[in-house]
Amino acid sequence: MQILHGTWIPESGADFIQSGQFYLWVETTERNRDQTDDEERHPQHLAAEELAELLTSEFNICSPDRYPLADLVEPCYFLLPTVDGQPLPSLELSRYLEIELPETFAFDYWEIDGYPILNAATVRSKTAPNSVIPLLNELHFLTLHNLSEIQLGADLLFWFHFTQALKRTILKDHYIPALKYRALAPVKRQAAGKSKSKKSTAQQTDEFEIYSGWEFIGEEYGAMLEQYVEYMPLMCAAGFADPYEKPWLYNRLSLLRHFSECLLTEVVAHTQFTKAFENTISDSLLNNCLDLDVWPQSSGLDQYQQWQTWRDRIVRTQTDQSFYLYFHLQDPFKPEDPWQLQLQVAPKDDPSLKVPLNDYWRMRPEQQTQVKDHLGGEFEQNLLLNLGYAARIYPDLWQGLETDQPVGINLTLEAAFNFLKESAWVLENAGYKVIVPAWWTPHGRQRAKVRLKAKGKSLDGGDDKSKRYFSFERLVEYQYELAIGGEKVTEKEWHQLVNAKTPLVQFRGQWMELDQDKMQQMLEFWKTHQKENPELSLLEFMKLTAGGEDELEVECDRKDALADMLNKLGDKGQLQPVKNPDNFDGQLREYQKRGVSWLQYLEQLGLNGCLADDMGLGKTVQVIARMVQEREPEKKGRRKTAAKEIKLPPTLLIAPTSVVGNWLREMQKFAPHIKAAVHHGGERAKDAKTFKKACREHDILITSFALARKDAKLFNAIEWHRIVLDEAQNIKNPKAALTKAICKFSAPHRLALTGTPIENRLLDLWSIFNFLNPGYLGTQAQFRKSFEVPIQKSNDPRQATTLKKLVEPFILRRVKTDQSIIKDLPDKVEQKLFCNLTKEQASLYEAVVKDVENQLESAEGIHRKGLILATLTKLKQVCNHPRQFLQDESEFTALRSHKLTRLTEMVEEAMEERDSLLVFTQFTELGAALEKYIRQTFHCNTYYLHGGTSRKKRESMIAEFQDPETEPSVFILSLKAGGVGITLTKANHVFHFDRWWNPSVEDQATDRAFRIGQKKNVFVHKFVATGTLEERIDEMIEDKKKLAGSIVGADESWLTELDNNAFRKLISLNKSAIME
Amino acid sequence: MSQFSRTWWGQKFIEAIEQLTDSGRLSRGRSYAKGNKVKSFNIDNGLVTAKVRGSVNPYFGVYKEPLYSTTIEFQPISKAKWSAAVALIASKASLISRLLLNEIPDNIEDTFKQLNLNLLPGSQRDFKTHCSCPDYSNPCKHIAGVYYLVAAELDHDPFLLFELRGLSREELLKELAKSPLGQALSAELQLEHQPPTPVDAYYAPLEMLKVPAKTELREFWQGSKRLPQTMEALPDSTVSGIPVKKQGDFPSFWTRDNSFIEAMETLYEQVKAKGQL
Repeated sequence: MQILHGTWIPESGADFIQSGQFYLWVETTERNRDQTDDEERHPQHLAAEELAELLTSEFNICSPDRYPLADLVEPCYFLLPTVDGQPLPSLELSRYLEIELPETFAFDYWEIDGYPILNAATVRSKTAPNSVIPLLNELHFLTLHNLSEIQLGADLLFWFHFTQALKRTILKDHYIPALKYRALAPVKRQAAGKSKSKKSTAQQTDEFEIYSGWEFIGEEYGAMLEQYVEYMPLMCAAGFADPYEKPWLYNRLSLLRHFSECLLTEVVAHTQFTKAFENTISDSLLNNCLDLDVWPQSSGLDQYQQWQTWRDRIVRTQTDQSFYLYFHLQDPFKPEDPWQLQLQVAPKDDPSLKVPLNDYWRMRPEQQTQVKDHLGGEFEQNLLLNLGYAARIYPDLWQGLETDQPVGINLTLEAAFNFLKESAWVLENAGYKVIVPAWWTPHGRQRAKVRLKAKGKSLDGGDDKSKRYFSFERLVEYQYELAIGGEKVTEKEWHQLVNAKTPLVQFRGQWMELDQDKMQQMLEFWKTHQKENPELSLLEFMKLTAGGEDELEVECDRKDALADMLNKLGDKGQLQPVKNPDNFDGQLREYQKRGVSWLQYLEQLGLNGCLADDMGLGKTVQVIARMVQEREPEKKGRRKTAAKEIKLPPTLLIAPTSVVGNWLREMQKFAPHIKAAVHHGGERAKDAKTFKKACREHDILITSFALARKDAKLFNAIEWHRIVLDEAQNIKNPKAALTKAICKFSAPHRLALTGTPIENRLLDLWSIFNFLNPGYLGTQAQFRKSFEVPIQKSNDPRQATTLKKLVEPFILRRVKTDQSIIKDLPDKVEQKLFCNLTKEQASLYEAVVKDVENQLESAEGIHRKGLILATLTKLKQVCNHPRQFLQDESEFTALRSHKLTRLTEMVEEAMEERDSLLVFTQFTELGAALEKYIRQTFHCNTYYLHGGTSRKKRESMIAEFQDPETEPSVFILSLKAGGVGITLTKANHVFHFDRWWNPSVEDQATDRAFRIGQKKNVFVHKFVATGTLEERIDEMIEDKKKLAGSIVGADESWLTELDNNAFRKLISLNKSAIME
Repeated sequence: MSQFSRTWWGQKFIEAIEQLTDSGRLSRGRSYAKGNKVKSFNIDNGLVTAKVRGSVNPYFGVYKEPLYSTTIEFQPISKAKWSAAVALIASKASLISRLLLNEIPDNIEDTFKQLNLNLLPGSQRDFKTHCSCPDYSNPCKHIAGVYYLVAAELDHDPFLLFELRGLSREELLKELAKSPLGQALSAELQLEHQPPTPVDAYYAPLEMLKVPAKTELREFWQGSKRLPQTMEALPDSTVSGIPVKKQGDFPSFWTRDNSFIEAMETLYEQVKAKGQL
């Protein structure tokens, strides 16, 4: 694993012009062998050659000339936490290393090879951007989405975020040309004269130099720096061109300023301006500012002072204002009346005290004084200055200033339109407040459009049952019509509007903007197309509605069935919850009933969706309930006779191996009448004939992703009723053989289940949609071009919105923080996760059982007791993971234990949802292994609390875990050490990796998260190894009769009272529960 | 060729003398003004006095470069009328707003007209000129040269125009203080010029500090606060350079004749389009 780091390092020395460079370097898990003898070199980083190679191969950074890239690499010095003469790894890297990070450490300088990002002028490569801002964007994009072996360090991640913020500032033009005055001899602070005549400058004898350059201005820039300095790791301020004697750091704010100013100068000065522009600035201050070489001038104090006055004025009106000036546009009641632009003011610290100037001037003197106090010193003077400035960028305002008490101006319709279109925006950008009528806001705006009016009658279907639903290929018939703001407009009205002389009209009592050219085009389009009677498939239709082209808007009549459909899919809250199916052995929660209703609705429409509820909300039961419901005969209507269950072809459910067993159990629990079978293991049907028979005899076939690929041929031969993918992110790679195989399976209904927010990973999203509704999101290449790159790399909000509109109707995602979900959920939601044993676990388990059976006959008394307790421990170890039992330091991999696999999958989901979680185990050695495994798999914060943890460490771990500024973390606790006394309410998932004999001990542990201060629902997940003693323990706990009384003690000793037969039964292995 | 004045009032001011003398003298005058021939130059209470270096002219019997004394005296407006004029100016926010920005409002003469006055010199009645040179014509080229310099000075300091017409700075402030709007202007006029702000470094100066005593690994490597989870969208702006626009065009440091605002607009647009962002 390699961690890409980087930071801004100022040049050393004390020159007046002290620039700097942004250096990249790579920290690695491999020790650098060549340099171990050099005591000052960082032992775990890539040296020049390797660094250059990596930058070229992974990030396409190439040398600007014929010399190798490695020649550019220079040694830098970083002040790093150091222990025993070794630098500590970064937190990112430490997650891959077998070390315990110490609590105390010193700081020392380490020499590291860094690659300086060259500025734009030096490199003109089209292949990769080489300036800091675009290059960091590229690095961020590549490491996040394309590379698995290189991770971005938190320092570089910070710089990525900061440079994007800086880019926004530059795009807003919040910078000006600047002059910098350097005093060579001490300056006498003299009060310069009021006039700038030549005499006064002649008196200035102090020696000075004046430099030209650029500077940021405005409140936003300052606020942005203040905001980002809080995010900034100290590491970002710990890089130096030369090492210091003592451990020093740069002050972070000063470093950010330094970086920002250097970067601004670089960006502006290195922009390739047109020749025409350069001609308009020759021999001017601007020209000097754009000069790449900065030269001091020893004259020009006049110009400096002129510039200074100019700059101070800009800064003064930008920041030092204690009130806001509002421009409030009001439309006239009658169209022929003038529009009014009213001036209002309000104190910055309390904008609710808004006063129209019209009222202000008319106030009684004492009242006026009171208001003036709120608005800050010299209010009237500042107001005038501001009005004057505003009038410069909005000259219409001058006419309102022909008085000593300005209140506003009247505008003609054209002027009002111009105000809305441009001036309002300009004023707002200049720091004024603008209030426009509601009908102008994006929300309230009425637009002219050509509307697709769908003939949705087919949705109703009438009596004919076969036409009741949209069939898969059902087409939507539609016609075009002209509409404004959702209402149909006749051709005559449209003509009137097109011929209106004004850009703003009152239409049916509402003001609206007209774009006559566009309306003319629409009219022509409508004329040529109105006679057509085209058809679209439902999917094409959905695509059109999401596309949102300006000219052509698809909209349905509010009353028709298609509109109803779009509404329901858009706002799933409108779906009527189903009633709890009669044959469903359980009670669905309210949101689950709505979920089933959604599944039903989509399937009726012939559309396929993705159920993406948060982990713990019960996706499984919703799928089961849907299967029960679709088999229930129709009760209403005339055909009362048909009381028999409807027979449907089988559903194929593909899930990760770790949950296959759990699915079967849940099916049996909630719908025992639905015949479920697992297609897995050596005993599975392997030839087409037996397989077909098995399919005929069952309603649902559960299999794993691995077999879906292996036995694809068998699955292909069946016409399924439905294909369900649990943990659908398994097909996120569209090129994988598995994905290709699954996409070929044939079924009218497809359903994807996932708990990870797939909207955020665009390629995964495409792949899942390609399974659900092939073609809907275009080809992968089209998708990449129109969505993936614009959204993930360019942060394009428009494409993000379009994509959201496209996929939203097909995804049902409820999160546990939704108010409507919270009220449906108990505070604590418990579920059990049944996991099978792997083959390895099963053989170990059997060996232990066999061994103990032999000994059991001869053992007696204290020896027998000991034997029984030891056996229980051994078996539980086997259920957890083979390594725990073998204690041979063999690989702690998920492959060897379904429990661990399942935990891995669930931790991943929780991390995606940015939840924190607790994992309890009764075994210390397992806790340690889990902690290391999770840390290295997810690179997340982990903590481990066990009996040997010092009190101090324990307190600090808890405080850090609970800190809201800590990233979501995993806390592993031993049941005994972590069971009482502490509060870990940041977690809202609690896992019990192994079971304890007494539920109250488990509950106590669970309550670490479920305590006062917990504002979220807590989800408790208990692992049970199927077919083993764990399952039997679980049955006992569930059996309330046995719980009563003292039979179940706090520990396992009561089990030693069992007779041999009972004990044998307790520990025996049910072989059907083994799964590879 | 750069102009002496880019402001409308400076040009109007120049027009007054251009009516009075021939183009030959005017063009000589311009080169006097530019060629550093005006050796001293003083404006005091409506009276402009200057020393201008003349040239050798054997025709007039001048064999050594002479130094001529030149004066221009503007016709003062009476105190009472000034009082009325300032009161009128101070009743209009538009006028005061522009004066606050160091500009003569283009409709200021409307106000003076109400009092049968004109602020800018319009005819010979408005100023008297004298020069010690042997040229029979008045205004001569020396006068023209000095006059052009006055016009250039007016660009930077429009309030000089009030002074030339007999209203001293102190009196102007006194008159302005009589009305609330006027007070705003008088306060601005009395703002003192800031002395230069010396900087210690071309880029923001760097400060150093010792590593804080209780630095934790997490703070060192990852910072104490989490980065925002979502990225703000890039602004899409259609109008460039709003901050500089508020200050009006032709700031005094801008010596070119083309528009500063337009140049800045182009600069901002090209940085946005072509800068390495």
